[in-house]
Amino acid sequence: MSESLDLSLRAQAAAIAAGEIDPAELLEAALQRIGERNPALNAVVETFPERSREMLEAAPAGPLHGVPVVIKDEWPLPWRAQRFGAAEMLAPTAPGESGPYRALRDAGAVIVGVGNMHELGASSTGSISVYGPARNPWNTDRCPGGSSSGPAAAVAGRLVAGSVGADGIGSIRYPAAYCGLTGLKPTFGRAPMEGHHMAGVSTTIVSGPLCFDSADCRLLGSALFGEELEAGRPEGLRIGVIRDAASEDVAPPVHQACEAAIEDLRRETGGEVREVALPELAAATLATVLIANSESLGDITPARLNGLDPELSPIARGLLKYRVLLPSIATLKAYQVRTLARHTLAALFDEVDLIAWPTVPAVAPPLEAPIVELPSGTLSADEANVRGGALANLTGIPAISVPVGSSEGLPIALQLQAGWGRDALLLDAAEALERANERRWVEQHPPPPADA
Amino acid sequence: MEPSYSADEFIAAGLAAYGIEADEVDLAVIRAAHQLFWPPTLELLEMDTSEIPVEPAPDLSQAPPRR
Repeated sequence: MSESLDLSLRAQAAAIAAGEIDPAELLEAALQRIGERNPALNAVVETFPERSREMLEAAPAGPLHGVPVVIKDEWPLPWRAQRFGAAEMLAPTAPGESGPYRALRDAGAVIVGVGNMHELGASSTGSISVYGPARNPWNTDRCPGGSSSGPAAAVAGRLVAGSVGADGIGSIRYPAAYCGLTGLKPTFGRAPMEGHHMAGVSTTIVSGPLCFDSADCRLLGSALFGEELEAGRPEGLRIGVIRDAASEDVAPPVHQACEAAIEDLRRETGGEVREVALPELAAATLATVLIANSESLGDITPARLNGLDPELSPIARGLLKYRVLLPSIATLKAYQVRTLARHTLAALFDEVDLIAWPTVPAVAPPLEAPIVELPSGTLSADEANVRGGALANLTGIPAISVPVGSSEGLPIALQLQAGWGRDALLLDAAEALERANERRWVEQHPPPPADA
Repeated sequence: MEPSYSADEFIAAGLAAYGIEADEVDLAVIRAAHQLFWPPTLELLEMDTSEIPVEPAPDLSQAPPRR
């Protein structure tokens, strides 16, 4: 049965529906595989076999009936409060039915574990967690990406074929890129947020799927959205690219792979590549960070900052205290930059269907030193990654990360962004890219961890 | 007037004004964050945004209304 876990999400669902796989056996195989592989990956921080079995017994005949999945430690479950990867959350938390939980349950999926995440969702690397960091299945000394580190490592390590993460500033796309998966950041408000401790407050966070490929993301995304993300074959795609210095500050192998992928996508769809400008991109990046940080300040008081849990990392402690020093006038300007960026994008999406650029400018850095070498010099991975990930969260547009190459044995990824509500177009474009490269990159999987 | 810039004074005074305690490790992290965020924050403050209205409650699920 364990070989069934290597099937795609949709193949598992189809085989269960056809009676070719017993979902109870598949669940036990998933739990066994987590037991075997997870010690090397630390992707899953908690399993609850009895709860999973109960979920399967009650599972309706939905599109994911009986399929095991992992959910990020950012979403409460009826039997477990989220911990947000941290010793202390600074926000109320309690067990409950989060929106993603309900969507998975109603689709018939079986949650087999909770995925690790970067502490407080505060990094693109996944290098810090109260549980210890998750590890990249392609190289367990490398960052899995964050903050949805565990959901990505769990799928890339083939513990499950699909997982649900959350993306406040690139937190689905970065780990998808580092782990060689397809990860969709939906249009803001389209995927469920109920039960999240920032629901109703955050204007950047969304839930979304991480899977092997676009078709699996379509299936899991449709379950999350509660509506079918219909497949199409886009023709004549107008692909926008930005050619300024900041956007081209990318490691050469990443640049080459992404340029080749853009050309593949153009050729496959009979489309064209157009150079576009987004002059407020740098300001938009800072604006996203300021807005996301200010929105999470509501539960902070000086007294709470003076009594932080000693198990919080020094970085989290320092950054939490630094947030109160950021001037409110900068946050007000950040909202104005959001308005400006949204209008610029709205006009730009009259001219192009997609904007394409590397999801991250370099492959996964070492866990011990999450820094990257770029043409401009050595940068922290977070500082480098946020340049590419923030815009979609600031403006609400959907974005997808697609594997398009490899360097140093680690995945390279292209990010595609589209206009509001065009999530299905992104999946169509990702699928077109898979056709163009004969699924070379989505079919590549890391070997099982050495000590599994 | 040129901005007077002393990160250590700003950080120490700012935290003290709120009554927030910080040890040497906290301060080292805060200094690093400040070094990263403050220069672009000053640039943002210099941006002329007088022509840009603030959308009070933008619907981020959709494109903005055409101006």
